[in-house]
Amino acid sequence: MMSFFSTSRIIQVGNNLELLFILAKRDISVRYKQTILGIVWAIIKPIATMLVFLFAFKNVSNIHDLGGYPIQLVIFSGILFWNFFANAFQFSSNSILTNSNLVSKVYFPRIIIPLSAISVPFIDFLVGFFIYFILSYSLNYSISYTILFLPVAFFFLLLFSLGLGLIFSSFAIRHRDFLQIIPLIVQYGFFITPIIYTSNEIISKSWFKYYLLINPLVGLVEFFRFSLIKGYHILSFFDFFISCALSLIVFILGLVIFKFKEDTFVDHL
Amino acid sequence: MNSIVSVSSISKKYQLPPTKKLVSDSIINKIFTKNKFEEYWAVKDISFNLNKGDKLGIIGNNGAGKSTLLKILSKITKPTTGKIDIQGKVASLLEVGTGFHPELSGRDNIYLNGAILGMSKKQITQQFDEIVEFAGDQIIKFLDTPVKRYSSGMYVRLGFAISAHLDPDILIVDEVLAVGDADFQKKSLGKMKEVASKEKTILFVSHNLTAVANLCNKTLHLEKGCVKQFGETGEVLNNYLSAMQNNLLLQNYDDINSAPGNELVRLKYAKLTPSLIENQLIADVRSSLKIDLEFWNLIDNQNLNISLHIYASTGECIFNVGTVPELLQRGIVQASLTIPSYFLNDGNYLVSFMVVKDKSIVLYNFEEVFNFEIADYREETTWYGKWPGYVRPQFDFPIQQVSQKL
Repeated sequence: MMSFFSTSRIIQVGNNLELLFILAKRDISVRYKQTILGIVWAIIKPIATMLVFLFAFKNVSNIHDLGGYPIQLVIFSGILFWNFFANAFQFSSNSILTNSNLVSKVYFPRIIIPLSAISVPFIDFLVGFFIYFILSYSLNYSISYTILFLPVAFFFLLLFSLGLGLIFSSFAIRHRDFLQIIPLIVQYGFFITPIIYTSNEIISKSWFKYYLLINPLVGLVEFFRFSLIKGYHILSFFDFFISCALSLIVFILGLVIFKFKEDTFVDHL
Repeated sequence: MNSIVSVSSISKKYQLPPTKKLVSDSIINKIFTKNKFEEYWAVKDISFNLNKGDKLGIIGNNGAGKSTLLKILSKITKPTTGKIDIQGKVASLLEVGTGFHPELSGRDNIYLNGAILGMSKKQITQQFDEIVEFAGDQIIKFLDTPVKRYSSGMYVRLGFAISAHLDPDILIVDEVLAVGDADFQKKSLGKMKEVASKEKTILFVSHNLTAVANLCNKTLHLEKGCVKQFGETGEVLNNYLSAMQNNLLLQNYDDINSAPGNELVRLKYAKLTPSLIENQLIADVRSSLKIDLEFWNLIDNQNLNISLHIYASTGECIFNVGTVPELLQRGIVQASLTIPSYFLNDGNYLVSFMVVKDKSIVLYNFEEVFNFEIADYREETTWYGKWPGYVRPQFDFPIQQVSQKL
């Protein structure tokens, strides 16, 4: 029996990490190939989405702030959050199928594929985050110490998106019906999660505390905004904790299902 | 001696879905019926052991389970039952250029493909120049061009060059010898032999018996997913070849009513006989092939001729040859044809023939009357790649030196 920390094992883990990075690099460098604007698209897309909602809110519905916080910041942070979730979830769910040529011809730990698929949404997120800073300062809204929580909030968002992606990719290989569900979740989830509004609008509803248990994204997005927007504090730390714990459970569940199914992926491709 | 590869009774089951139905139907089926899937064993109860340095050739017809076995051995898929124990680093080459991304440059793809095949970045960097050199001069100019702009030859050469520089303990190869032009094949075979001479264990699937005989000390013959024979290459190949020869290419019908055909013509007898010279066990490119056909003609006074087609296994028609039309009466009609030696190249072929009335009306098309294989044969060769083309003529083609001046 090879011991867990034997040299060959360490070399193997090292090689797998290298493979992960090189696949991530491949996805990133291919993403904006043959475009003129390149990475600028990662800036244009969330700004365009925000402008559309600003137009609708300010000019059509005559809404000028959300729960007392600048509408631009609430919406932009929501979109930033949602875009990462949507893309990470979608890309990782599809990743095994889009890389079927690799899966059917070479062996390496399959988990590398969905992990590397998250690289592109991650880069988009970093770019968007930078834009958020500019936006925040231009509205004279400084960043507070709560920004220190951002890595935590983001980490659990990552776990949740990836966990869901692992579950869907495991099942979608055999039953492509799952691929049909993904756009529905991404489309409708956007409206039933406080992305372009805040929890303030729904917190008083009797079903809200149950809703928090079904949709961890509610707690996560508020945690995310809590860390980004100065003075923003709608849900309690306990609520954040519940959502983070749920995300962890989804992630572990995803890992277990993926592990269980990965040996036979190729038989159903 | 310790085995480096030990395979004990592995089997792999696939479930074939039942015949396709409408969507609604299939949902209803899934709810109300259980397990309508048909089971299919791609490989069944395969066991063998290899020692360090063994070179194993895996042979068998299409559908014998060779590819499935390779996939199981390279851990791409898991066997339904059984155990595999492999000691050491495995690299599997089931395809040339696995994971090449068309948008990325040749340089990026070397790193990408190398990493996918299990090389570390350091190893690739160390061997980068060698890889490029091996792939050929042409590649150097195009190193920073996306590989989607490469010719297919360049693409394959680059892919092979990377895999040739892997350094695993156990190498699993699926017919990658058959890549590139003749020149490059020579080079890759040289590389294979160099690899083989080292203390390396190789598992090699091939249709090319000559290559197996030359490279491998052990051979595994698969038939319908099971081990037909495993042992020393010479012995296994001999048995394999004689088994193929016993496969008579004959159709003979005594009962006119159950014979293939229709109310106008029915097949009575069809036989394909290859000519075999000394020690030869199966038809190869040296053999001439004699085809004898007999059919019952059921109508009087017809002007009939036979039109015979030979198809490659890929479906292209190689040629069509016809008899002259003849005025024929009810009874038995006979025709025979000889295909000369060194005409068909090695490969699998199908024969069908039709009986034609008045040069234009097809009375009946007898499809797939024979299905036969022609083996390769070469003397004193150093090159084992697939000989290209469907025909293998030996035309007079003299070469001579006309001057020694430059």
